[in-house]
Amino acid sequence: MMISVSNELKMIDKAAFEYSRKILAPEREENDKFPYGPFFDHLIEKAYDLDFFHSLLPESLGGIGQSISAICTILENISREDSSLGGIILTTTATHEILLAADAQGLLKQLTENADTFKKFMVAYPLFSNPSETNHLCIAEKNKNGYSLSGAQEFLVLGGISDHAIIPTKMKGEAEYSFFLVNLNDAGVEKSEPIQSLGLHSCPAADVSFAKVKGKLIGKQGDGETYFEAMASRLSIAAAAMACGIMKGSFKEAADYCKKRVQGGRKIIDWSEVKMTLAQMAINLKTAEMVVSSACQAMENNEPDWQQCAKAAAIHVHEMACNLTNDGIQVMGGVGYMKDFGQEKRFRDAKHIQAVFGLTPMKKLRYLESIV
Amino acid sequence: MQGVVVFQSQDNTCNIEGLKNHYNAADGAYIDAICFDNINFKYEGIMISRAQIKSLIKREPGFEDITCSLRATVKQPKGILKESKKVMAIARKFTDEVVRPMSLELDKKMHEDPEYLPWEYIQKVNEWGLYTMFIPKIFGGQGYSLSCLFYLLEEIGTACLAMSNLIGVHYLGYASLISSWNMKMIDKISRDVARGEKTGEPCIISLAITEPNAGTDSQNIELMDTGNLACHAQKTDNGYIINGTKIFISSGHLSTWHIVHAYTDLKKGSENTIMFAVKTGSEGFSFGRKEKKMGQKACVASELIFNNCFVPDENVCIDNRGLRNRSKGIWHSNEQILAYIWGASRIGVSSFGAGAARGAYETALKFASETEINGQLLINHEWCQCMLADMYINAASARIAYTEGNYANGLYGLWKILNLKPLYYLMKYTHVKFLDKFYMWLWNKPVMTLIFRKLCLDFQKDAETARVDGWGSLAKVLCTDAGVKNCMMAIEIMGQAGIRHDRRAEKILRDAKLLQIYEGTNQINRINVFKRLIAPPYPQTEIFTAGNI
Repeated sequence: MMISVSNELKMIDKAAFEYSRKILAPEREENDKFPYGPFFDHLIEKAYDLDFFHSLLPESLGGIGQSISAICTILENISREDSSLGGIILTTTATHEILLAADAQGLLKQLTENADTFKKFMVAYPLFSNPSETNHLCIAEKNKNGYSLSGAQEFLVLGGISDHAIIPTKMKGEAEYSFFLVNLNDAGVEKSEPIQSLGLHSCPAADVSFAKVKGKLIGKQGDGETYFEAMASRLSIAAAAMACGIMKGSFKEAADYCKKRVQGGRKIIDWSEVKMTLAQMAINLKTAEMVVSSACQAMENNEPDWQQCAKAAAIHVHEMACNLTNDGIQVMGGVGYMKDFGQEKRFRDAKHIQAVFGLTPMKKLRYLESIV
Repeated sequence: MQGVVVFQSQDNTCNIEGLKNHYNAADGAYIDAICFDNINFKYEGIMISRAQIKSLIKREPGFEDITCSLRATVKQPKGILKESKKVMAIARKFTDEVVRPMSLELDKKMHEDPEYLPWEYIQKVNEWGLYTMFIPKIFGGQGYSLSCLFYLLEEIGTACLAMSNLIGVHYLGYASLISSWNMKMIDKISRDVARGEKTGEPCIISLAITEPNAGTDSQNIELMDTGNLACHAQKTDNGYIINGTKIFISSGHLSTWHIVHAYTDLKKGSENTIMFAVKTGSEGFSFGRKEKKMGQKACVASELIFNNCFVPDENVCIDNRGLRNRSKGIWHSNEQILAYIWGASRIGVSSFGAGAARGAYETALKFASETEINGQLLINHEWCQCMLADMYINAASARIAYTEGNYANGLYGLWKILNLKPLYYLMKYTHVKFLDKFYMWLWNKPVMTLIFRKLCLDFQKDAETARVDGWGSLAKVLCTDAGVKNCMMAIEIMGQAGIRHDRRAEKILRDAKLLQIYEGTNQINRINVFKRLIAPPYPQTEIFTAGNI
């Protein structure tokens, strides 16, 4: 993030930077082993205590009621070292945003008020899809006690470790979808083992099936797409901030390595082809920072086209992050591909995060539709 | 006759009966169009002399440099076409029955336990005879042409690059061994591999060049003397003592023989490179760590440690005693040997790249043909059709590029001799027992090594070395970039499904990324393309010097 105007934001920036560097970075390789290694509860608990999960949540609901710049600052700093935690925060924030968009403060309060640990605070959500794009949503039926859900939800992020989830669901016979809050500990819920995925290993997803599971309708029936768009417009820039953080981490590690590594009798940073690659990485990074900051500003100033700014920024920054992290490995050669360094993880994470909120080509087409 | 005739004049002269016109265009200019009205004419053809043809096709880019395939259609034995088809069919059967059913589980297992070694797969490869398939019959192998190897690697690579590499890297070691033209050693190790197939105890070969502080340094002759080479070879009475470490050695822990490069003078490696064959179990030789990689997990990357490891003279593939009398001198001969190795092995990596490009394309195509987005099958979205077309183009271009490089090797490189028609057909149609009886004793005669070194080192022209090495690099860059690009596109088409391990696309991406790094990063290979294919007519060019870096 380029702008840290308020003292509060500067403090958040500093706290996230220090946490990321001192607490998250040393255990990155170990955390990435999940599900074949332990889950990093103790580090997430620390982040939870530092209010990194609460930045966008209104004060009335126990949050700190900050602007979009705050969550972008947090996610960017965290993702420099390990974007798995960024993914957990983004997923939980997405559920809050859906509930806020649906004016369902009551449900949100129920979820957050008694959450004394991050595990109770987390809510699962299918972060990597746009429900409008898929034909395989769960089906809800209304009965005398409310609603019951049946069907399967693929790749439910945090599905294996959260108590609750927000699930996009279609009412039987209806075209539009709605969101439902479900308790993942209810009978009738079946969860798969954690899904092995490209990146974000410690932000695990699971395939979850529902057999007549009780669900609470969020907002109005059939208004799911409206809530999704409200949430995705705001948080697409937060996802872009994660990509920007990954780019920062990748560039720094590459530049540091090139200053030390000697081949042909000279430091490789003095090889003009390596310099050219690093120069391109630096330019892409600075551009990404500017783009994310501008989009945040547009959103905070409530400029008329802020949603378009956010979406365009996100698509562009994600693409740049994929290219930059590819080069981040390349300039380091063989060691860049090994798990002893952070580059290979950043490469995987950048591509993984690009899939947030649905297919990239469809995001591009929808962006065009929104401006013409 | 009415209309427009378009033709091109190569010798600046053309005669058209009836018109009686004589055109003299400026050198190199084309006459684009001539309009005729109601004129009868007979086009007599372009007059061009032999000398002109010779001179014009030599002009950069030279005909020979850019049309390896065209030349190969005449020079290459016809039997290779039939063999290639058979090899591709075997590869597809092996992929269906062995590779695809194992690949995801094996990758998962390696993720869970990076110390695991995939012996069950190695056994399967051995049982199917794939480790002897491309070893010439005169050395106890099955005698398929090495030209066919790359179609096999591509096919298997579409399902799993690591499992393809577990075959490819064996032939990388073998190709390095061949490049020493030490016929006794080639025969000895080849027969060990063949014996391993018969006994059910696989005998694989690895190549060990990369060192902890010398990756690029150890692969490029220009950088050796200013680099950080550390694997030292000390001459003793009956051999050498090696000290040092090699890293990132593909399949190291699984191999029986290791073709190792070490240096008698670490400050002057370019003229003091020794190629050894070290057997697993040799005193002073041990395995170190296994690297924890992002992808190609099944193909273990090993650390090889040499601690006062004695290698007898009989296991020296080539040293300065074998290079001292070469017509090109020691430095250029070492450069030539590296060019033989990289020219061949980079075509192998290129075929992996083509496999990745195809694997990603096929995965995305299958997904698109089964998945509806916005109520319509993805495959019917125009944007998706164009993305899939781009992916198809990438995969097809990759195959064309490595095939061209393959032809370069067959015409001018490592398997030129084996592809000579008399030798090819002699081996193809002669029974192994007969070959063994009449030829086996020959390979132990030092004169055979002398003859082959004369033919392959002294008689290879510089332009041929450049062509083989240049095409190796060109194909490697093109194919591996195409592979990674297609993986990126596949994941974009598949979205959430693309990032799941069980849908394969993410694994192909993780595996493919390594292709842009090993056998020289693609950046180094671009410099090699410049050196070998672009720079020759420009003597003022500097490559890998203090000035140009």
